[in-house]
Amino acid sequence: MSTPTQTETTNTEGLARVRDLWNDYLPYWFMAPMVLVMVSITFFPGAYDLYLSLIAEPTLNVFAAEFVGLENYRTAFTRGGAFHSFVITVTVVVSALLLESVLGFFLAAFVAGVESTRMKSFYRVLFILPMAVAPVSLATIGRLMLNTEIGIIPYVINTATPFTSPAFLSDLPLLTVILLDTWNWTPFMFIIFYAGLSSVPDTLVEASRVDGAPLWRRYVHVIIPYMKPVVFVAALIRLIDLFRTFGVVYGLTQGGPGTATQLVSINIYEQMFINNQVGVAAAIAVVYLVFVIAIANIVIAKVGFEGVWD
Amino acid sequence: MADDSSRYPQKRRKFLKATSVGLLGGLAGCTRGGSGGDGGGGNGSSGDGSSGDGSSEEDLPIPLSEYDSADIDWQQFEGDTINIGAVQHPWVSAIKPAIPTFEALTGIDVQWNILPENQFRTKRQTDASTGAGQFDVFFMDQVVNQFREEGWLQPLDPYFNDGSLYDESFYKPNDLFESSRWQAHGGGYSDQWTGLPITVEVQTQFYRQDLYDKHGLEVAETWQQHRENAKVIHEEESDIVGTAGRGQKGYGMNIYILNTLLRQTGSKLWTDFPNDSGLDTDGVAKAAEYYTSLLQDYGPDGASTQTWSDVLATMQEGRTGHIVADANMFWGGLTNDESSVKDTVQIAKVPKPEGGELNPNAFNWQISTSTNASNSEQAFLFMLWATSPPTDLWINTESSGVFSVRESTWENDDYISKVGEDYASVSLESLKVASPDPFDRKYPEWGQRYSEELQRAIAGQKEAAKAMRDAASAAEDIYSG
Repeated sequence: MSTPTQTETTNTEGLARVRDLWNDYLPYWFMAPMVLVMVSITFFPGAYDLYLSLIAEPTLNVFAAEFVGLENYRTAFTRGGAFHSFVITVTVVVSALLLESVLGFFLAAFVAGVESTRMKSFYRVLFILPMAVAPVSLATIGRLMLNTEIGIIPYVINTATPFTSPAFLSDLPLLTVILLDTWNWTPFMFIIFYAGLSSVPDTLVEASRVDGAPLWRRYVHVIIPYMKPVVFVAALIRLIDLFRTFGVVYGLTQGGPGTATQLVSINIYEQMFINNQVGVAAAIAVVYLVFVIAIANIVIAKVGFEGVWD
Repeated sequence: MADDSSRYPQKRRKFLKATSVGLLGGLAGCTRGGSGGDGGGGNGSSGDGSSGDGSSEEDLPIPLSEYDSADIDWQQFEGDTINIGAVQHPWVSAIKPAIPTFEALTGIDVQWNILPENQFRTKRQTDASTGAGQFDVFFMDQVVNQFREEGWLQPLDPYFNDGSLYDESFYKPNDLFESSRWQAHGGGYSDQWTGLPITVEVQTQFYRQDLYDKHGLEVAETWQQHRENAKVIHEEESDIVGTAGRGQKGYGMNIYILNTLLRQTGSKLWTDFPNDSGLDTDGVAKAAEYYTSLLQDYGPDGASTQTWSDVLATMQEGRTGHIVADANMFWGGLTNDESSVKDTVQIAKVPKPEGGELNPNAFNWQISTSTNASNSEQAFLFMLWATSPPTDLWINTESSGVFSVRESTWENDDYISKVGEDYASVSLESLKVASPDPFDRKYPEWGQRYSEELQRAIAGQKEAAKAMRDAASAAEDIYSG
């Protein structure tokens, strides 16, 4: 039997060290690929955006870049109209979220109350359909349908009702944008609320009925509190998604008339692709990112995740 | 037992060679701009200037003999390759079938990078500003002076002065419309060529002959007549508005029309550049008041959101009496089978003020080369060839073009019979006196603000004069800030 040479001993020790390193940090090794992906797709673009917001002209050569401090941020909030677009965005987000939540809940409650299984399926499909329309298609169809000369909606209002149709896109642009988004995304709230309603135990509802609670009390004091985690998750997802709204509004109004429907996303787009103000666009994007993260965290902190993960 | 490779060495080598050539040709064909029919493979140029796929000179779309008169050393960059960055534009479709002629003439291989407009703008800005120089030739538009002043654009004058690259008697630069040459010189902001114009669009007037006959109207020669005609149609017809026009914001939208009006009333943008935008003068206020009241009184409801495509659709549907729009962009759409007014629509020059001069707006796309382009001389040869008289004529007579930048093409009998006599004569007369907008280096930014203010006025959110005063402050702030 031969004894191991010094080289063999060193190799064995080296392998053992690697094995120990692997075993000691096993969870981290497993997480590493995903962390790398996350860094490359979120951290790097974020850092690059921050870099762009601090320089005069875009350049990949960091050493040749002309750093201008917060100049782009100042421009964004003076002639860039950033504050105005934040106000418009918050108006659209709050209004659309409220409308979609209320309508989505009513539709879900309506379908949940339908006895016939066949009619239930019919309503489910009917109410989900608007969500299947792509934003750009919706904007294009919306423009045509709302066109005062050749659109079907003004035509119906003018011919089938005693009212004169307004010019939706120029007289009521913000309301039109909110209503169109509501039409498009109420189905999302409907689906989640319907699933939530289906999970409420019959015994709970039955008990409240036996206790003599009328329908509205059953909803307000039993069903909705039970559904709180579902409502919270749906609202949070939709809230964050609403902050990202762009395609429908841009396709419909391009942020106008003037800047009446200029969301932050549209402002960023126009600064970047129309004004060629890359630094200003990046500055607004940085502030917006911080703003949305702050709002989401405030909502989570105030409402809490109680019951969501159960 | 002998193995197959040693028994058939010749056959295997042939197979590998054929496969490699096919594969390389196929890959090259993914982006190259040769004729669509051959799949793109094997189109490299040979030393004698003929197409590398074995096609003879007779197969080329434009005969090489058309370029014989040019005292230019076409073959000096044989074997090189140029990259062209382009938007999805009808000019690209029109010139692509002619690329084999260029490749055979020069031995230069052409690679296209065609992108949707917004993606292209981003890529172009990155390419030019970072000094990457990926594009040897690229499409250039309203940002020409921004690029020029940043030092990203290469002036072409040194190439015009190079005897091996340029022959004035062949190229005939004075055949290019004056407005196109002016815009290629940075819209008056540069005394050097910033690129070469490839297409031009000019404003004209379209009207419904049937409605004009019915109401005894004459084609408007002045803006006042234009308004009166709109009034008659608007009031006499129940389902038809008097006129339709671009109200949407954007520098290719509402201000593209208003700039014509204000110039014709004797006003101008930037009376003292960059201190006084001229937007708060009485002339501009009057022009804005005219345009906003025309659309508010006799246009469709919601005129402030109408884009050029809405205007086209309204006219196509026969829902308006007349419009002012770009001839090249609209004439085809108004006279094709899908148009309900194809038998009645007529074209005329845009109106002018009482006693004023005809002075319609026009827009040119041009192709340019960047300071960091790897193959600038080759790029110049391409630009020269693409805009030369034989190529321009072929694009607009044999191919799908209707946007020539050369006067001789508009006077060509084949071209006139292709596009129609009225369209050709009205467009030509308009092009001869057209005045494009001056795209100073911050035009995209202040033009956007100016168009937003005009849109607010059209929407009735503020008075036209106030909107123009606000536009003036915004424009001047942008330069002073």
